[in-house]
Amino acid sequence: MITYALKRLAIAVPTLLLLIVISFLLMHSAPGGPFTSERELPPEVLANLNAKYGLDQPLWRQIATYVWSIVSDFDFGPSFVYKDRSVNEIIAQGFPITLTYGLLSFAVAVVVGVSLGVAAAIRHNSALDYIAVGVSIGAQVLPNFVMAPILVLVFTLWLGWLPGGGWQGPEYWIMPVIALSTSFMASIARITRSSMLEVLTSNHIRTARAKGLPERRVILRHALKPAMLPVISYLGPAFVAMITGSVVVDIYFSTGGIGKAFVDSALNRDYAVMMGVTILIGALTIFFNLMVDLLYGWIDPKIRY
Amino acid sequence: MKMFKTLATSALALSFALQAQAADVPDDVTLAEDQTYTFWLLDAIKSMDPQINTDVEGSDVLRNLFEGLYNENGNGELVPGVALDHEVSEDGKTYTFNLREDAKWSSGEPVTAQDFVYAWRRLANPATASEYAWYMELMQVENASAVVAGEMEPDQLGVTAVDEHTLEVRITNPLPYFPQMLVHASTFPVPQSVIEANGDDWTDVGTLVGNGAYTLTTHQLGERVVMDKNDTYWDSENTVIEQLTALTINDVNQALTRYLAGELDRVDIPAGQYPRLKEEYPDQAVSTPYNCSYIYMLNVGEKGPEALKDVRVRKALAYAIDRDIIVDRILQGGQRGAYNWTHWAIADFERPELDWADDMDQAQRVERAKELMAEAGYGPDNPLDLTLQYNTSEDHKKIAIAASQMLKQINVNVTLDNYEWKIHTDRMQNQDFDMARYAWCGDYNEASTYLDLMTSYSGHNNGEFFNDAYDQVMQDSKTAEDPLPLYQEAETILAEEMPIIPIYHYANVDMISDDIAGLPENNVNNTWYGKDIYRVAE
Repeated sequence: MITYALKRLAIAVPTLLLLIVISFLLMHSAPGGPFTSERELPPEVLANLNAKYGLDQPLWRQIATYVWSIVSDFDFGPSFVYKDRSVNEIIAQGFPITLTYGLLSFAVAVVVGVSLGVAAAIRHNSALDYIAVGVSIGAQVLPNFVMAPILVLVFTLWLGWLPGGGWQGPEYWIMPVIALSTSFMASIARITRSSMLEVLTSNHIRTARAKGLPERRVILRHALKPAMLPVISYLGPAFVAMITGSVVVDIYFSTGGIGKAFVDSALNRDYAVMMGVTILIGALTIFFNLMVDLLYGWIDPKIRY
Repeated sequence: MKMFKTLATSALALSFALQAQAADVPDDVTLAEDQTYTFWLLDAIKSMDPQINTDVEGSDVLRNLFEGLYNENGNGELVPGVALDHEVSEDGKTYTFNLREDAKWSSGEPVTAQDFVYAWRRLANPATASEYAWYMELMQVENASAVVAGEMEPDQLGVTAVDEHTLEVRITNPLPYFPQMLVHASTFPVPQSVIEANGDDWTDVGTLVGNGAYTLTTHQLGERVVMDKNDTYWDSENTVIEQLTALTINDVNQALTRYLAGELDRVDIPAGQYPRLKEEYPDQAVSTPYNCSYIYMLNVGEKGPEALKDVRVRKALAYAIDRDIIVDRILQGGQRGAYNWTHWAIADFERPELDWADDMDQAQRVERAKELMAEAGYGPDNPLDLTLQYNTSEDHKKIAIAASQMLKQINVNVTLDNYEWKIHTDRMQNQDFDMARYAWCGDYNEASTYLDLMTSYSGHNNGEFFNDAYDQVMQDSKTAEDPLPLYQEAETILAEEMPIIPIYHYANVDMISDDIAGLPENNVNNTWYGKDIYRVAE
């Protein structure tokens, strides 16, 4: 298993490199540049800017310089738009915020989603099942860009319980977590429910029940673990999606997180920030996909690496 | 050199407004305990460096952290900042500013003429790579273009510290509105020693040293900026607000909800909501003119469609659009329909009589538009196909849809092209459009900030309207005793040639807490200063 993990990590390096080159080329092929503005800059001003940020160099050299400064100094360069800051600083400020609400949302989504799914499967076709299915479908079809303004309307304007946005302490975390976790929670609940239903009709559960094991033990010990396989394959990418932020959460709750910065960097042609966040998300995706695959091996002994 | 006190508007404004600086609290007003002011930013502040910043919002913050030669009062008139007054040489090309001796940096050091020299050279210096380097050229400071192009050293720029408190600026052509241009944040002084010691990090919290009424205490990118009263500021005794907070909220409606929940003292009102809010909160919803004009630019250049080279077609397009519908039904925020280019509220500007604006009603304009189209050879059987390009925004979309419907009645089939901002701009700058949405916000409160844009030598004339008579008028206006008749002539040429379709003049449509006083009420640039504000006890 260790060899397998090492092999996967070795493949990750060329994968990331490919990601960098492709993103770099795609980004530069988009019309307009970081200094395109309503007020077209005089050529001499534009020349100074391009010289400062190395945009006057041939593209291959820009890529090479960029990759080299990452490898040698772990320096992702200066932002072309937020000129007082480097990409490292922008990520260092925004990512911890995103990570905080992302991890919390993940925890909420998994705990509530799995509980709801399991409960619905055990009490199949009961009122509890219908409620759980109803809740999860409702949560799924309510997009977070609709839910976010409603949350602020209710909890900030009407009830006055929570601040409407910002990032100053735990009371600021609640609405972003609700908004971000709901649809993930719904998906987890539905996947858990159907997977659990399938497992509960399988032979080893019938055997366990025939042995006279208490139902509690049957569920927790014998059913839950195999039922988690499809959930976990969903959780890997979902986890990365959550901790790398949501532009909707950042926009509606003014968190200052990385999701908004990512979308802005694309719209602003802030090449450096866009590359930095792309690499961050790429690296996290590769890493957590590997984690998921390793977890598979642990959960299902039939899977061998 | 013979000097004389200038009698231009600036000097009059200065003497008139001398007492109206800092918070001007009437005697019968009781101030509130809580002297804080929270305002709204649509986006994260891109830079706190005066010579690097390019945004209106960035300028709102910078005006509180730094102070330039002059400030503006609530009516848009100049009031002393670091400069007490100035003299202009007889040829109008040399300005000598007398700086106050009590101006200090937040580190306690005095603000000197040398600080301005350093800042201005820095703005033009190619090594700074400022996007606003062109502002030095716009100000016509001697050798600015050569310095920006790297052909001369920054120290050859026409700005000199005569002594600690006397600053001399030499410009290449007389500019009657030169003092007005000094309110712009890119001309603010910066502390040389702090910048040299800290490089790009000099604007960090704790490092930033300014000479404004406030100092930076928190800057969480995309979340908030907090500024506290600066006790070293020369007029801190008269500064009432203790703390300024700027909250970044990327969604206009969300900002309004949070305002209504009491989290902010000022937010913009989203398009279409002003009438409702005005009725519900008559003391809080306000609309004031704002220094921007919204137009559809026509591509009359080589790459433009053949039809738009015909002035009859251009006029017909302009006549067919019903501006009342756009301002009264779509925007609904006190904006005004536009029949000319320069914003109606610009100081000392008056729109000339224009036949299509003053002598016709909308029905007559549409009739005339149909005639013009018929003369140009277009009709129901031979409609004209044009594209109308706009950048992504709900409001631009609504206006474009309305305009396309209005143009249909004169047999123009409009295809709407929506692009994200950068592509829209890029296409416009490459003359890749027929008609394109465009807005221009004046840099200062004077008509030339609009009218210069349509000259053949302007860098922003994307529609490539080249007209010798227009260029001549604008050049003459620079040295004219009274430029207004020339500005009016320029507007008349635009109405006759119609290279742009004026749509509307902007308004600032805001919700402002009813206990906040001292914000500008009659300043088209909405240039506001925290030091002028105060909160009244309920």
